[in-house]
Amino acid sequence: MYAYKCDACGELHHPKHFVCRKCGGTDFTETPLEGEATVLTWTKVYNLPEGYMKPYLCFVIARFDNGLTVSGQINSEQPVTGQRVKAVVGVVKEGVGRDFYGFIFEPAQSVA
Amino acid sequence: MRAVGIVGVGHTKFGRFTGSFLDMAASAAKEALDDAGVRPVTGHGIDQVFLASMGAGQVNKISGAASALVDTLNLRPAMAETVENGPASGASAVKLGYMAIASGLCDTVLVVGAEQMRVISGWEATDFVATMSHPEAEYPYGLTLPAFAGMFTRLYMDKYGVTEKDLAIVGVKNHENAMHNPVAHIKLVPNLYAITEDEDANVINPYVAEPLRVYHTCPVSDGAAALVLTALDSGREFNHKPVRIAGVGQATDTHVVAERREPTELFAVKESARRAYEMAGIGPEDIDVAELHDAFQILEIAESEEVGFFPKGTGHLAAREGKTRVDGEKPINTSGGLKAKGHPVGATGVSQVVEIVRQLRGEAGGRQVKGAKTGLTVNFGGFGNNVVSIVLTTRERG
Repeated sequence: MYAYKCDACGELHHPKHFVCRKCGGTDFTETPLEGEATVLTWTKVYNLPEGYMKPYLCFVIARFDNGLTVSGQINSEQPVTGQRVKAVVGVVKEGVGRDFYGFIFEPAQSVA
Repeated sequence: MRAVGIVGVGHTKFGRFTGSFLDMAASAAKEALDDAGVRPVTGHGIDQVFLASMGAGQVNKISGAASALVDTLNLRPAMAETVENGPASGASAVKLGYMAIASGLCDTVLVVGAEQMRVISGWEATDFVATMSHPEAEYPYGLTLPAFAGMFTRLYMDKYGVTEKDLAIVGVKNHENAMHNPVAHIKLVPNLYAITEDEDANVINPYVAEPLRVYHTCPVSDGAAALVLTALDSGREFNHKPVRIAGVGQATDTHVVAERREPTELFAVKESARRAYEMAGIGPEDIDVAELHDAFQILEIAESEEVGFFPKGTGHLAAREGKTRVDGEKPINTSGGLKAKGHPVGATGVSQVVEIVRQLRGEAGGRQVKGAKTGLTVNFGGFGNNVVSIVLTTRERG
């Protein structure tokens, strides 16, 4: 999983954009998006769409320490707002002949 | 630009439609044509048909559905286009109808919104609606519209002190309104105590996407709604005095919800309403009645703030005080809203306009807002990434 850093001004984007939101630049460098983040909000969803063979799943919006904010699944029964989490890349959906990868957050050791 | 008014409305009963998609769309269209006094086949004068639907192609396997509709109604050789803009498809079609007439290309336009979602399973319907999220950063995760609404609700609760009971108060109010709307999907009023404080509240009103519960979210509905739009200078006679489209505003926001700088703001709602007010030459204080897109009850609260009815962070307090009831100072969702009237996604934006036209004509029966002259609709696409607002009025052009 990558962040896309604008070569002109350094603004980070995820997912990929073709034009920088800050300066209009059009050249980007892929930067690995990993490490710890903070949970801004979360939900536990009980009516999952077709293709997820689970009774429920937890999701978060989390902010990385570099300021970038993303959505992802979280491997926790009861997330907490403000919780420190660690970004792990895993299979978020099993497809036919193709799996989909994305962020699956794990509770971090250090709790803020 | 030429002034444009609405002279005909039609609306199927929302809920489960057992006939075909085309039957449903044509039923609403025929009712609107009859209401306006337009006779199909000879001399109908319909220059253009816009059919709004999010899932005609994906769910019902009908591509180019407007071509089928125009022929079913024998309105050939009218121009025809299908409009897809997620759950804002309906208001987008109204906007395109407005533009077609205001530009001078057309004199009279038929706008129809139709969605038939109950022909697939609930899981498939949830997946279908989720396809409007970002194809890489959101959809593959299993994120759905209820998931985004749940996370948005939690942010609102943390920041402004909104409670689950506030969401239920808005829901119950809309269910009460729907009891007076013959075309509403759900005809029952849940007991506020039973769904919030009773010892069985968790069973009666279970979580869908924490902290959102069943009575904080809209149902899955089939339904169609239709409008006849005409140029006010066309010289044609219709059955009804026109309700003028005074303002149309639309705005987009980040497609990825997590990218929003201020996650409790709905920028596209605020900006689309601002543009619609500016075009109409009015402000939020001039609105007598509003239909706001309450797919989730938190959205009615947040939108009532973004369109300028109440200060940010106080929409839930206004609802608690009864200000948004039919007899309140700012009546919202007199139709029952998406919560109780139902939410056939592509039809919703057209249905909202139908309700405001009925209010401004004084035809809303037990849910009538006394003396309503100007109304607002907000049709919310994606999770607020594409929003269309429309101002309607019976007042003379200022």
